[in-house]
Amino acid sequence: MFLRLDDEQQEIRDLVRKFAQQEIAPHAEQWDEESHFPRELFPAIGELGLAGTLVPEDYGGAALSRLTGTVIYEQIAQADMSTAIWLAVHNMVAGLIAKFGNDEQRKRWLPQMAAGETLGAFALSEAHAGSDAASIRCLARRDGDDYILNGTKFWVTSAGQADVYAVMVRTDHEGGARGISTLVVEKDTPGFSIGKLERKMGLHASPTGELIFEDCRLPATNLLGNEGDGLKISLSSLDGGRINIGAIATGVAQAALDVSTRYAQDRVAFGKPIGAFEGIQFMLADMAMKIEASRLLVYQAAFKMDEGEPATPYAAMAKCFATDSAMAVTTDAVQILGGAGYVRDWPVERYMRDAKVAQIFEGANQIQRIVVARSLIGSIAKVR
Amino acid sequence: MKIVMCVKETPSTTAEKRFGADMRLERRKEDAIINPFDEYSIEEGLRQQEKHGGETIVLSMGPATATDTIRKALAMGADRGVLVSDPALAGSDAVATARVLAAALQKIGFDLVLFGSAAADAYGGIVPSAVAEFLGLPLLSFATKLDEDGTTAKIERQAEVGYNTVETQTPALVSVMKSINEPRYPSMKGIMQSKKKTIDTMSLADLGIESGTVGAGASGEKALSAEKITTQRKGEIYMGNDGAAERVVAFLVEQKVL
Ligand SMILES: Cc1cc2nc3c(=O)[nH]c(=O)nc-3n(C[C@H](O)[C@H](O)[C@H](O)COP(=O)(O)OP(=O)(O)OC[C@H]3O[C@@H](n4cnc5c(N)ncnc54)[C@H](O)[C@@H]3O)c2cc1C
Repeated sequence: MFLRLDDEQQEIRDLVRKFAQQEIAPHAEQWDEESHFPRELFPAIGELGLAGTLVPEDYGGAALSRLTGTVIYEQIAQADMSTAIWLAVHNMVAGLIAKFGNDEQRKRWLPQMAAGETLGAFALSEAHAGSDAASIRCLARRDGDDYILNGTKFWVTSAGQADVYAVMVRTDHEGGARGISTLVVEKDTPGFSIGKLERKMGLHASPTGELIFEDCRLPATNLLGNEGDGLKISLSSLDGGRINIGAIATGVAQAALDVSTRYAQDRVAFGKPIGAFEGIQFMLADMAMKIEASRLLVYQAAFKMDEGEPATPYAAMAKCFATDSAMAVTTDAVQILGGAGYVRDWPVERYMRDAKVAQIFEGANQIQRIVVARSLIGSIAKVR
Repeated sequence: MKIVMCVKETPSTTAEKRFGADMRLERRKEDAIINPFDEYSIEEGLRQQEKHGGETIVLSMGPATATDTIRKALAMGADRGVLVSDPALAGSDAVATARVLAAALQKIGFDLVLFGSAAADAYGGIVPSAVAEFLGLPLLSFATKLDEDGTTAKIERQAEVGYNTVETQTPALVSVMKSINEPRYPSMKGIMQSKKKTIDTMSLADLGIESGTVGAGASGEKALSAEKITTQRKGEIYMGNDGAAERVVAFLVEQKVL
């Protein structure tokens, strides 16, 4: 039974903590306030080896395990959830190119992605297709050696900032799930433009926006895998993506608990630090329990993925539990800080605004519960 | 060029400090870090290597577990490590430590030896000069800039007004200040590669040092007592419009700030 990170993972955790606390945390408030995407940080992230976590060493990556990945994202999210999110999306896209790309495609994109020069984004959702991803309409028509792409993508993390976009498109009018393919679109391709950027409740330092394709012509060499592989490709990223969101949620929750604990020791009311009141102590205790349980679920799901065991229900449990916990913990943090918690002089209101989205994206938590329930009903049916 | 960086394992600056009956600092493995001052000498060694090529070696004297600390320096990019470890070394003072480091340096061979300006546990700052004395070589201390061209080493040292330039033939020893550079973060790859790099361990016997000349028994320095410094912040708060500004001004005048 593993319950301890190995020496290398601990070393990586300490390094990422130091980097995140020194280079990210001091700016997080300002980035949130100004909706600033910290592109200037990306090369340093690349130099550390954090921009190619799923990229093989031959292409300049660090080829880390999923478990090590969760350790990294938790630390970055403790400093700033926005940064952790766009970085996780970037690493996922690089991972997809590494896994499904041919050698030419890998050589073309991966070294610069791992170096923190080329930023990746992932475009699946559309106005009418969120949870129901197979109902996308964005269309790619084959024309000789090219594809001609038409349609609009919604909710794309790093829209306008990214250099390469993995876009899920329909290459076949008829076939539902099987007609979906993945095209890699570079930012300056004619016919491709950025639409509206969303004004969000939180996650301000990670832009989210619309991609517009109008007769956008792409060479067929930008197709990842084969025609019809698109759904398989995006589904392959689901477990890992969910585990990462669980880790990120755990990080935000931990940051909220750390601030709350310090505040409870310092803030005096009725002649005592508020941490001396049982009402506050019980809140802190519940927060700590939720965080520890989240972390263990995340580690377990990542460990199963690394071992090649079926991980899907575990990834869904980890994502759902950790993000629900993060919402509860950050809300309680605001409560513990009282008025101070509600104003921007303290970071907990930002944690709470940021945490909310983690219950929604990468599969809304209702969907996660469906996944878990299906694994139960399925297995019960089998036993009988 | 062969560059040796001397690195000490110290307790984290934020760790709670406890002293044993012999008044020696109790060192807990989980609090161990690279002496923060040494990150600058490691960085400087790596930069000199990037300029001139050659080999970078991390040398440490410490408990057998100090290999973890050496690995951290290897993760930053140094080529290999040497740990001098021997039960008889326990309780060595600065001079005894210097005797051991000097012997190890002679055994390793070097063109340039780099030190941090002090260690964050005892703040003695004596070891670099004592090692230089044992080796009979020049020490360029407190460098804020280092230029090395294979035959001479030249440093800048902050002076009261401006700075001094000091130069010597190599081989030589240099201790560096924090302002000399900005230490790099190790990378994921660095961390993974550090596992494959070699760390040689040397005992006193390997260095031909009599155990009676080092360790607590041979150390002239004795810690007699240890006390916690408590800093008391006295805040005075003047409230309201009622002469508060005048009292603040009076206070500042009294403190000769205004
Ligand atoms: C900040 C942000 C960043 C994003 N980044 C990306 C990105 O980079 N790439 C990308 O492709 N997408 C991205 N998304 C989109 C995100 O993945 C979708 O918002 C998410 O999949 C939910 O889809 P929806 O918003 O259309 O909600 P809907 O699918 O319309 O769901 C609405 C509600 O109905 C519930 N629901 C839906 N189906 C069921 C069901 N069968 N049973 C019970 N309840 C159900 C949902 O749980 C939810 O509560 C991002 C979204 C946000 C907010």
